[in-house]
Amino acid sequence: MIMRRRTGLGLVSPLMLVLIACFLAPVILMLPTSFREYLPGMGITPGSWTLDNYTQIVTDDYYREVVWRTFGLGLLVTAIALVIGYPLALMIARGPARWRVPLTLAVIFPMMLNLVVRSFGWIALLANRGLLNNLLIDLGLIDTPLKLMFNMTGVVIGLVHIYLPFMVLMLVAAIQAVPRDVEAAAATLGAGRIRTFFMVTLPLTASGILAGSILVFVLTISALVTPRMLGGATYRVLATVIYDEYMQLLNWPGGSALAFALTVTALVVVWISGRLAKRWGGLA
Amino acid sequence: MTLAPGRAVAVTAVLVVIFLQLPVVVTVLAAFSSTSYLTIPPQGLTLGWFAKVLSDPDYLSAIWLSLLLAVVSTTISLVLGVAAAWALHAKALPGSDAIASFLMAPLVFPSVVIGVALLQYVSLLRLYGGTGVLIAAHVVITVPYIVRAALSSLGGIDRSLDEAARVLGATGFEAFRLVTLPLIRPGLIAGALFALVTSLDNVPVTIFLLGPGQQTLPVLIFSSVEHGVDPSVAAVSTLMIVLTGLILFVAERRTGFHKFV
Repeated sequence: MIMRRRTGLGLVSPLMLVLIACFLAPVILMLPTSFREYLPGMGITPGSWTLDNYTQIVTDDYYREVVWRTFGLGLLVTAIALVIGYPLALMIARGPARWRVPLTLAVIFPMMLNLVVRSFGWIALLANRGLLNNLLIDLGLIDTPLKLMFNMTGVVIGLVHIYLPFMVLMLVAAIQAVPRDVEAAAATLGAGRIRTFFMVTLPLTASGILAGSILVFVLTISALVTPRMLGGATYRVLATVIYDEYMQLLNWPGGSALAFALTVTALVVVWISGRLAKRWGGLA
Repeated sequence: MTLAPGRAVAVTAVLVVIFLQLPVVVTVLAAFSSTSYLTIPPQGLTLGWFAKVLSDPDYLSAIWLSLLLAVVSTTISLVLGVAAAWALHAKALPGSDAIASFLMAPLVFPSVVIGVALLQYVSLLRLYGGTGVLIAAHVVITVPYIVRAALSSLGGIDRSLDEAARVLGATGFEAFRLVTLPLIRPGLIAGALFALVTSLDNVPVTIFLLGPGQQTLPVLIFSSVEHGVDPSVAAVSTLMIVLTGLILFVAERRTGFHKFV
């Protein structure tokens, strides 16, 4: 494939220009805002620069709680998605061939479906007068509705539902990359099914587990729609606080400092995982 | 010696699949239910919520804006993204890998950050509330899917086919249009579908850029849920579920879509 450099430049530059103008420039221009001083009701004070917006993320109790909650949620959702996603991935990759396409489509379909629609479905299920509570009350199992929404329970369920497909698809690719001969060899040498899984299959899919976990973690800590719809105004995470700072408090300096903190965290996590994957790749 | 997954794995897998379909089923049930809150069995069936949605000017204009944004931004992304991917694949420029990473960067950035960054930017440039701004924003969030699909499709085809066309007298563009493009078409269709769905789905970027009176469908649902559960939301959601199902069905038939995910 021979292509002159000028042709190449002509083909790449339109998209480069669009992304520089509509992505890079806006993100960079947000940096000075995050060092401006904000006075409630007055907006941005002209001419003054401050680090307060960043220091309050770690010193202020409210922000600190939101940060810990966001990362805790990220770890919990990732762990649940991994544990319940692995059996499904195993079934798709190693189960009967006729199950493969239907199961894969059953994973892709909800993934393609609108995030807002899916969160709405969970509201219809989990609300005080939602399907689940109505069912339990009709069956006489409970008297008062369980509180399944506007708290951690609802947000975790919603987020697991939304990011599980990503985890499953990553794991399927990883499991399919393990040669069946290796598992067969372990079995021939006397390892049972469970031992073969834990000693052979699971370690050999470590890079896929890492890739899937990083993806789910980063998506979870950045999520806005699901935490807002299922967590409401009471159960706040970083993204919903950023949303409120911008749209309700009009505290752009505080909001942009939080936005940068979130971005740097996401990029660092992705970068570290890239390094880890490289090192593991070197060992394998 | 069989190494097929055991019964426990199969049962867990089926339960997880049911979990994945649960909110979809419940939404569809709610859309046909005559009561505003759900019970099993449903207390009555109605098509009224669909009629309400399809005669509501707010919903109709939101549906229209969503479709317009999705189609226009996906088309622009497709043209710009495939052109860029073609040049990157041909290694016509130094630093191709760095350029590719830059083109994919919006994928690793939290959407809400792209949203607030654009909000400040357009208010600085006094461009707030324009459809052009929304289209540009949707190009930013959809183009990585196209670039990724195009690069991986180009990586999977035999280079000698393009060279053969060139030897037989085709110009570079003719070889691309007549040989390479048909070969990467299934991958591009899959990438374009992802882009389309990403645009139709987006709230965290779009919500910051809508002007007064402007709504997209997901943003309208998102904000109406704040005021309580309304079955007309279930009806419009059901319409989107059916549309997504149809797109997936056609894509699977035409391209074997599941292989590209």
